[in-house]
Amino acid sequence: MNQPSKLNLSPRTRSVAFNGLLTALALVLSAIELALPPLPLLPPGAKLGLSNLVTMYAAGAVGLAPALCIAVIKGLFAGITRGFTAMLMSLSGGLLSTLVMWLLLRIKSRPFGLVGLGVAGALSHNAAQLLVASLLTTPAVLYYLPWLILFGILSGIVTGLVLSVMMPLLDKFTID
Amino acid sequence: MIKKQDVFFILFFLLLAVVLLFCFNSTKSTGVAVVERNGTECYRFDLGKQKTTQIIDLGGEYHVKLLLEPGAISFRHSDCRDQICVRTGKLTKPGQVAVCLPAKISVRIIEDKKTFDGFTG
Repeated sequence: MNQPSKLNLSPRTRSVAFNGLLTALALVLSAIELALPPLPLLPPGAKLGLSNLVTMYAAGAVGLAPALCIAVIKGLFAGITRGFTAMLMSLSGGLLSTLVMWLLLRIKSRPFGLVGLGVAGALSHNAAQLLVASLLTTPAVLYYLPWLILFGILSGIVTGLVLSVMMPLLDKFTID
Repeated sequence: MIKKQDVFFILFFLLLAVVLLFCFNSTKSTGVAVVERNGTECYRFDLGKQKTTQIIDLGGEYHVKLLLEPGAISFRHSDCRDQICVRTGKLTKPGQVAVCLPAKISVRIIEDKKTFDGFTG
């Protein structure tokens, strides 16, 4: 992001373009995920959370505000394509997990690796969604808590591993 | 990529999940199904006493239908897009819950406390 620009773009323009690309990536990933068949053996409604990859990267590499923006746009996209409750679920999960990952990245000693960050993000994502679901319906949905923890760990590990492959590629990526 | 703290962190939550699974696992094999719409109870069925199979039509925007069977209850149909409620399948044990979030309808099974009279409800 810091090389001299061939197109003479101001840093501001480049950051707008870069954030736009990240947002598009997040939307494409959630669309792909919707198209996947429901996974057997998993709790109903469980998804891999591929678009968390993008908010996680944005929280680490770009900053809190753009990352939260991406989460909000993702939520609006869910609202347009899947309805109001889906929007609430997406927003609650997306915003909390982005915030948690950003806070963990702020700790100077960097206690967690990418896998730990991914798991923390996935768990906070699931926790926020479960909380909203219990407010919308009945506290009995907390019955899903152990399954959501187990699946959050699994999907968090996947996101962490994928991101550690993607990170060097994204770091090389520039707009100029 | 993976640090020692990550492993401890993951193990902690794995353990928590397993402990919770044991806590939530009811030993009772049957119970009472409670159906709620918008957070208020609208039906209650004693699954142990259910002898026939019947469909409960809840109607509403999503035309939700429940399937009531001896010892089990499940979402039979909903017009919602995600079909999470239908895919949850049959509920048989106390503690289990199925939710149709778009329709704001939930079905959960509670333990039969024998505190209310089965005949007068």
